[in-house]
Amino acid sequence: MTLASRAWVALAALVVGALSSLACGAQAGAQDPAAEAEEHLGAGRYDEAVAAFTAKVDDEPDSVEARLGWAAALSAIGRYPDAAEGLSKFLDSHPDARGVRLALGRTLAELGRYDDARRALEAEVEARGSDRLAVQALLGELALDAGDRAGAEARFDALIDAYNDGSARTAADLEAVAIACRHLGAEDPQLFKDALKAFDEAIAADPRAVEPRVALSELFLEKYNGTEARGEAVAALALNPRHAGAMLALARVLHFEGAYEAMDAVQRALEVNPNLVAARVFTAQLLLELEDYEQAEKEARAALGVNPRSLDAQAILAAARYLQGDEPGFRAIEREVLAANPRAADFYNVLGDACVRNRLYRQAVEFGQRAAEVEPTSWRGWGLVGLNQLRVGEMEAGRTNLERAFTGDPYNVWFKNTLDLVDKFQGFGSHRSKRFEVVARNDEDDLLAPYALALAEEAYDALARRYGIEPATPIRLELYPSHADFSVRTIGLAGMGALGVCFGKVIAQDSPRARPQGHFNWGSTLWHELAHTFTLAVSEHRVPRWLTEGLSVLEERRARPGWGDDLSPLFLAAWRDGELLPVGDLNNGFVRPNSPEQIGISYYQASLVVELIERDWGKETILGMLRGYRDHQSTEEILRGQLGIELATFDQRFEAFLEESFGGAKRALGPAEATSEEGGGEGSIELPDAADLEAAARKLDNFPAQLSWAIHLVGEKRANEAEPFLVRARDLYPQYVGPDSPYLLLARIYRDRGDNEDAARQLREYLAINETDYEARLELATIEQELGDRAAAVRPLEDAIYVFPLDPELHRRMADLYQAGGDTAGLVRARAALVALEPTDMAQALYDLAEAQLAAGQPQDARRQVLRALEIAPSFDAAQRLLLKLHAGGSDSGAKEQP
Amino acid sequence: MGNGVRWPATLAVGAAELAVAAAIAAPASAATHLLVISGLGGEESYSTSFHDWSTSLVSSAIASGIPAENVVYLAEDPARDPERIAGEARKETIEATLQTMGAAAGAQGELWLVIFGHGSARGNETTVNLPGPDLSGGELAAILDRLPVEKVVIANASSASADFVRDLSAPGRAIVTATRAVTEKHAPVFGGFFSEGFADNRADVDKDRRVSLLEAFDYARLAVARSFESDGRMATEHPMLDDNGDRNGSLEPKAVGESDGVVASRLFLGAAQTRIASSPELDRLQTKKSELEDRIAQLRAQRASHDEELYLKELETLLLDLARTNEAIDRLAASKEKPG
Repeated sequence: MTLASRAWVALAALVVGALSSLACGAQAGAQDPAAEAEEHLGAGRYDEAVAAFTAKVDDEPDSVEARLGWAAALSAIGRYPDAAEGLSKFLDSHPDARGVRLALGRTLAELGRYDDARRALEAEVEARGSDRLAVQALLGELALDAGDRAGAEARFDALIDAYNDGSARTAADLEAVAIACRHLGAEDPQLFKDALKAFDEAIAADPRAVEPRVALSELFLEKYNGTEARGEAVAALALNPRHAGAMLALARVLHFEGAYEAMDAVQRALEVNPNLVAARVFTAQLLLELEDYEQAEKEARAALGVNPRSLDAQAILAAARYLQGDEPGFRAIEREVLAANPRAADFYNVLGDACVRNRLYRQAVEFGQRAAEVEPTSWRGWGLVGLNQLRVGEMEAGRTNLERAFTGDPYNVWFKNTLDLVDKFQGFGSHRSKRFEVVARNDEDDLLAPYALALAEEAYDALARRYGIEPATPIRLELYPSHADFSVRTIGLAGMGALGVCFGKVIAQDSPRARPQGHFNWGSTLWHELAHTFTLAVSEHRVPRWLTEGLSVLEERRARPGWGDDLSPLFLAAWRDGELLPVGDLNNGFVRPNSPEQIGISYYQASLVVELIERDWGKETILGMLRGYRDHQSTEEILRGQLGIELATFDQRFEAFLEESFGGAKRALGPAEATSEEGGGEGSIELPDAADLEAAARKLDNFPAQLSWAIHLVGEKRANEAEPFLVRARDLYPQYVGPDSPYLLLARIYRDRGDNEDAARQLREYLAINETDYEARLELATIEQELGDRAAAVRPLEDAIYVFPLDPELHRRMADLYQAGGDTAGLVRARAALVALEPTDMAQALYDLAEAQLAAGQPQDARRQVLRALEIAPSFDAAQRLLLKLHAGGSDSGAKEQP
Repeated sequence: MGNGVRWPATLAVGAAELAVAAAIAAPASAATHLLVISGLGGEESYSTSFHDWSTSLVSSAIASGIPAENVVYLAEDPARDPERIAGEARKETIEATLQTMGAAAGAQGELWLVIFGHGSARGNETTVNLPGPDLSGGELAAILDRLPVEKVVIANASSASADFVRDLSAPGRAIVTATRAVTEKHAPVFGGFFSEGFADNRADVDKDRRVSLLEAFDYARLAVARSFESDGRMATEHPMLDDNGDRNGSLEPKAVGESDGVVASRLFLGAAQTRIASSPELDRLQTKKSELEDRIAQLRAQRASHDEELYLKELETLLLDLARTNEAIDRLAASKEKPG
C-alpha cells in the first residue's frame, strides 16, 4: 500500500471518529447539523456531506471539528487542493489548532507535496497532540517513500513501543501501530501477524471505521489471501457503499479472483473520487493487461496529474513505456524515481508484474533482481525472481530464490503454495527425448511420457517448419494429475479454469487424470500450448493474446482431425446476435470477458481470424504480423502494414468470411429465443416445447426443429421416421457435435439396422469434428473391426489415448489389433502402457511386454522385463520359459549355472 | 439342515496347470472350512449380486481343493438356489454352523467366514443385516472365541463393516472389511471383486497357482479404487485388512516385517498344489527348487542395499537356475506319466 492511496481515507476516519464522539456526547438527534453531516460522510453521501460541513464551517469558522469534517468530505471526492488550501488557511488563523496539521499533511501527501506534508506533520509532533501516533506513522511512510528506511523504522519502532506501553488506545492509534507493523514486517515477518492483530483491535475500538478494513483487505491481498481480502472489502462497503477506497479494494479482489467485473468496479470508485491515484494506477494496470498501452499511459498520466511523485503511477507509466519498446522513456522515469528514492524496489516490482502479465517472464526475473538489489528486504522482488525462474525452467535457482522470499514473507500464500508444489516434484518422474523433458507424477509418468514425448517431437517439427524458427530446447512439459496443482503452478492458487499454460520454455497442463473422462483432449492441449512457444519465440513474447490463442487453436485443427474448438451453438448465437468482438477489441474476450462464455467464443473467433488471414494473405503474413508485434507495432499498424487493410475493413471481410463459411448453420439455428444461452464447449441446443415439435419440424430449414422432432421420434422408437429429420439436421449444421449430435443418433439407427458401413461413416464424420468423445471412438473401432478393417479400427483407438489413456481395456484392444496386424512396435507400445497402468497382475503384464519386445527384435528389453516379471512371481512358468528362450537365443546375462 | 453343500463335482483346471497336470494333485484339504453368508439384499439387484458373488466364491473354493462337504453357503432366501444354499442366513443358523465347522476344523484347521451384504452401525455396534436379528461384530467374536480352531479368516464385505476389525481382531485371525469407517455406508462393490479374485486364480499375482488372502484383498482393493476412478466418483469405500491382532486395519497391507499382510500372504483358500515326488531325483529337484525360491526371496528383501545392475545379474542367475530346475521337474514328471 502506498502513502498516497490511503491518505484521505484515514483523514475521513479521523473525522468520523471525532464527530462520532461529539455526537454521542451531545445526544445528537436527527436535526443536529454535526450529526447530520457526519452521517452523510459515513454513508458516502459526499455531496450532502460537503454541503453540510460547508454550512457548519460558515456557522462556526473557528471550529476545528467542522473544518476537519469539511476537509474529509472534500478529500473523499478527490478535491484535495481545495481541502489543502482550506486547512492551510485555517492554520494561518488558528496556529494552535490540534489535529489540523495531520489532516493537512495527509492531504498534501495525496498531492505529492511530500516536503510540505513533512513540515506540517513535524510541526504537529512538536505540538505533541493526541494524534501523535498517526502523525508518526505518516511520517514513517513519507520517509519510506524517500528511501530513508532507517528513519522510517525509527518512527515505526516508536509506534510499537507506544502499543507496548499502553498508550495506543484509539482506533486511529491502533491503525497507526498496524501500519508500522506492516512495514516492519519486511524485516521481521512475525510483525505481519502483529499488523493483523493491531488492525483487528482498531476495528474493535471503532466498529464503524472503514479504513482499517480497507487496509486489512489490502494486506490480505498482498499475501494472496483472496478470501480474507474479499471479506474485509465487503465489510467495509457494508459500512459505506460509496467509499472509494473500499470500492477499489473490492475491485482488486475481483481482479485477483479473475472476475471480469474488476474494471467496472474500479471505474465506480473513480466516479466517486476521480482523483484517487491508486484507482487510476489500478485502471492503468488492467489496461496494460489488455495490451492497451495508450490508454494505460493516459491513466498513469492522470494519476501523476494528481500526485506527480506517486511511485506507483511512475512505475505503471514506465511499464507502459517499456512494453511499447520505449527504452529511453522508461529509463528517464527510472532515473527520476531513483533520484527521489534510491530504494524504490516496488518500482521494479510493478514493472516485473506488468512483464508477467504480458508474458515477458525473463524480463520479470530481471526486474525482480533489480528490486532485490536496491532493497534486499523486498520479498516481493525475490518472489518475482523465484516464481519467474520456475516459469522459464530454471528450477533450482527458482526454488532457492523463492525460499528466500518465503523466509522473509512466510505469510505469502503464492510463495507457500508454489514451494509446496515444488516439493511435490520429488514424487514426479522425468523422461527426456531429443528436445523435450516430460515431468509427470510417478503413478502416470511411464504411461504418459512416451505419448507426450512423441507428440511433442512431432509438433515441434511441424511448427518449426511453419514458423521458420526453432525455439530453444529442452522444453519442459509438466503434466499435473491434480488440477489444483496445475493451477498453483500457473497463478499460485487453486481455482484456475484453464487446461494448460505456456511460459515459453516451460509448459504446464492438466494430465488426463485431472478431469473426468471426456472433458478434454490432453494431446490437443499439449499441441496448443507448444504452438504458443513458437508464436512467443517469433514475436519475442510480444504477440497479443488474441493472436497467439487464435494460432494455437488453428494449429490444433491442423494437427489431427477433430482437434481444436468447434463451431458451437454459442458461437453461432453470439455471431447472430452481433456479440462477436471486433478484431481490435478481441483481446478483451480473453483478458476482460463480459461473461465466462465469451472466452470460449473468443478462442474460436480468433482462430477463424487467423484462418482468414492465412487464406487470403498467406502464411508469410502471419509471420509478418508476429514480427510486427515483436517490433512494438499496434494491431492497427500491423493490419495496415501487413494486410494493407484498415481495422474496420478487416472486420467487414471477417463477417463475409463467416457468412461464406457458416452462414447456413447460423440461419439454421433460427431466431434468438430458440438457442440456449447456457452450455459450453461443443454446446447444446435447447429444444422447443414437445407439443409443438411436429408442427415446428415442418420448418425444414430449422436445425433445432428438425433435431428435436427427430429426438422425440427416436425416444418413441420410431427410428425409421426419425432418420430423414436427422439427416436434414445434420446437413443444416454439419459442425454440430454436441451430445445429441445427429451423427451419433444416425450411427445408432444404422447400427441397430445392421448397416455398419453407414454407422461407421457417421461416426467418422462426427469424430472428424469432436475431439473428446471417448465412447464414440471405441464404438467406431468396434464397427471397423466388424467390417474387417483392422487398420481402420486402430485409428480411433489411437485417438482415444489423447482423450483418456487410463483405461486398460483400451490398450488391451490395441495390443490385440497390433498383434493381429503384425505391428510389433505398436504391440510393444500398448503393452508398455498396460505395464505403466500398474495392473494388479503386474507379472503377467511384464511377461506380455517381454514377449512383444522379443517379437519386435528387442531381446535385451525383453530380458529386463521378464526378469521384472519373475522378480514378482518366481514360479511363473511361462516367464521362466521365456527367460530360458532368451538365453538360448544368446541374450547376454552372464548366468551359466545348470541344474 | 446339513452342513455340507451339494455341489457339482467339477474342478476347474486352468491352462497353466495343464502342462504339468500329471505331476500335480489337487488333494482335498481336510483342514480348511468355508462358510459363505449372503445377507439381506433389500433390493433384487443386491440380492442377485450377493448370491452371484457367493456362488462364485464357493465354486472357486471347491475348484481349489476344499472338499465340498467343508463348504457351507447360507443365504437370505434358500429357495433362490436350493441346490447350493444350505439354509437361511439367520443368526442362530450361522452360530450353529460355525460351531460345527469349527469343531470339524479343530485346532490345526482353518476356518474362513465370508459375508456379503449390507451392514449398519448404531452407536458402538456394527452389524450385518440378516433375516431375523442382525449379527454384530461383538456377537460373532463371542461365537468364534468358543471355537477350538486357531486360524480364522473373517471377510466382511458389507457396508459400514470397518468396526469388525476392532471387534474381532486377535492373534491367529485375519480380518478383512469392505470399509475403513462405519460412515462408509453405501452398498459396497468390494465383495464382487474379492470373490472374483479367487475365480480362475485371477488374483494370483505371484503365479504360484493359488490365491492368498492378501492377493485377493489387493486384487479387490485396487479394483474398487479403479471402479470409482473410472466412474469419476469419489471413493466411498476403502477396504482394510488386519492380521497381526493389533485391532488396527491397514489400507495397503504388505507381506513384510510385522505389518498387516504377512499372515494373509500365507493363508490360501484351498490346498497348495504340490508336486508329488515320486523318485529320489524328483525329490532332489524339488528341494533345490525350494532352496532357490528362498534365495530369491532373500535377495529381493535386500534389493535396496544392492547396486541395481549387480542385483539384476544375481537375480537372473538364480531365476535361470530355478527355470531350469522347474523344466527338469516337468520333464521328469511327464516322462513318468507316459504309458509303458
